[in-house]
Amino acid sequence: MKRLAAIKNVFAATALICLVFSSSCQSDAANDGKKKVAVIVSTLNNPWFVVLAQTAAAKAQLLGYETKIFDSQNNTALEADNFENAIASGYNAILFNPTDADGSVTNVLKAKAAGVPVFCMDREVNSTEAATSQILSDNYSGCVALGKYFVEAMNKKGNYVEILGLVGDNNTWNRSKGFHSVVDVYPGLKMVAQQSADFDRNKAMDVLESILQAHPDINAVFCGNDAMASGAYQALVAAGKANDVKVFGFDGSEDVVNAIKEKKIVATGMQFPKVMAETAAEYADEYFKGKKDFPQKMPVAVELVTQQNVDDYTGYGKKEGNK
Amino acid sequence: MEAIINHKNYRQSLAKFQSLIALFLLCVVISLLSDKFLTATNAWNVMRQISVNICISVGMTLVVLTAGIDLSVGSVLALCGAITAGLLKNGIALPSQNLYIGFTIMGAVLAGLLAGSLLGWFNGWAITRFKVPPFVATLAMLTIARGLTMLWTKGFPITGLNESFAYLGTGWIIGIPLPVWISGFVVFVAVIITNKTRLGRYIYAIGGNENAATLSGINIKKIKVIVYSIAGVLAAVGGILVTSRLDAAQPNAGTGYELDSIAAVVIGGTSLSGGRGTVLGTVLGAIIIGVLNNGLVLLNVSPFWQQVVKGFVILIAVIIDKANSKND
Repeated sequence: MKRLAAIKNVFAATALICLVFSSSCQSDAANDGKKKVAVIVSTLNNPWFVVLAQTAAAKAQLLGYETKIFDSQNNTALEADNFENAIASGYNAILFNPTDADGSVTNVLKAKAAGVPVFCMDREVNSTEAATSQILSDNYSGCVALGKYFVEAMNKKGNYVEILGLVGDNNTWNRSKGFHSVVDVYPGLKMVAQQSADFDRNKAMDVLESILQAHPDINAVFCGNDAMASGAYQALVAAGKANDVKVFGFDGSEDVVNAIKEKKIVATGMQFPKVMAETAAEYADEYFKGKKDFPQKMPVAVELVTQQNVDDYTGYGKKEGNK
Repeated sequence: MEAIINHKNYRQSLAKFQSLIALFLLCVVISLLSDKFLTATNAWNVMRQISVNICISVGMTLVVLTAGIDLSVGSVLALCGAITAGLLKNGIALPSQNLYIGFTIMGAVLAGLLAGSLLGWFNGWAITRFKVPPFVATLAMLTIARGLTMLWTKGFPITGLNESFAYLGTGWIIGIPLPVWISGFVVFVAVIITNKTRLGRYIYAIGGNENAATLSGINIKKIKVIVYSIAGVLAAVGGILVTSRLDAAQPNAGTGYELDSIAAVVIGGTSLSGGRGTVLGTVLGAIIIGVLNNGLVLLNVSPFWQQVVKGFVILIAVIIDKANSKND
């Protein structure tokens, strides 16, 4: 028994030390009367969302607010907890990247009922009554533009493979539908395989390696995000087909922007996580200063990055100076 | 006694036999449906793709044989891959001390393996010292290691590693991909350990009946710590292979790998209640999963159906396993 008690003490002490240590690591200044802004992000397991969350937090801090990032780990239930905690600990506004267009609505309504304004970033919630404003990336139109460029780059004919993201994710299908709305019009363009690689670089490599066995003669691969485009390119290199097959991605990640510069990848759709995050933080600032009418939906266009215009871009945005 | 042992061996070979039949049937069906399946390149593709899962699953087999489980393998894989990649690319720099340590490939790989063994050791220590159930201890490590990976990588992939490092995951030696050599070596050593050494006999004894093993004087704690450490090292081997193959350490690498690995172990006929199973069975299990993944893609089966099919294969394997253990 004594030993058990000793162990308990050790644990309690360790836990305490951890808490003290982690709170001392936080960069929050004294919170005397400072307004607090919470950043609730769908996941930090993907660099794109890390950029989104960190930019939002950095911008809000720059504007003089105390901030904290909450990670929902792609789990709408965890997101509900994050909302409750943020509301309970007195955050005055929430910069929000939803896990699910429908599932997240109740969370936003909860914040609204508590008088906390919510500004959605990148992904929308399916309600025009809940959020104060939604700053959205238009995945569908972005992939329409990418699809048009695809048709042009392929000269309207050839066999291609589509690698989808997580099949349970809205954006997977928004991107796929946008792309097909253009490409399916051309009978010369034939999709010989459509498979999922869960937005994952490694899975995309495995999947494309297998597909190349069944269809060694493909001309292009369209990937639902840039991580998969990188993996697909790697598979083509391994198969010695990197020069024969055109790879298209979506997101505008640093890797792929560099690969486009090096003429390894043909094009990607640049989303602007930094622009969206900064706009959301500025809106919250304006809200605190008295402004109350915001556009319900504020679309941020996705731009096509190709080997011709890639020099204007950098990872996750435009080069400084021409934003 | 002799008779019982023979009986047990017979059961084990039967389980192995069942997996072999399943694999054979699977190959027949796929090759009837696709003429691209039975080609040398495709076979090497499958072998190369599953070599990571084989490494992890061999470690998992040892753990499961002691009636334990290791849910942390995917996160440990990610962390060790990221450590190797980070050290290789950036080294360790301490500007305040005016200190910079660069790493050779060998140094970075060894550091990754060391990290894996420490994480595994920590699992074993928590399990034996504080009697935390393996499920809980390794679940905690799953989160801890993933969090440490995020801290180490700051959430971004570490890319642009050097070409000689990429050779580990993409190279060929005497017509066989290097990852296949590495996983083959891992399997070879594990087969020797389980069949020919005292450690192997103790592992089976602990899983078979822990009380009896204690009474017969086996240092259970020590054996378990060793087993979890081995599982950690093998997860690190997998992490280094994945990183090298992709020329990138992804912070979210290895997500869900624990499930693929447990599936390989179970399909291979190792009992989740411990004490019964073989490393070679697990290898067959991993090949079955690999062939299934490959075949479903070759046949362009819808991604929705793929998950359903894989689930059923695992379920059927466990049902067969149950039927076997009932006869014991």
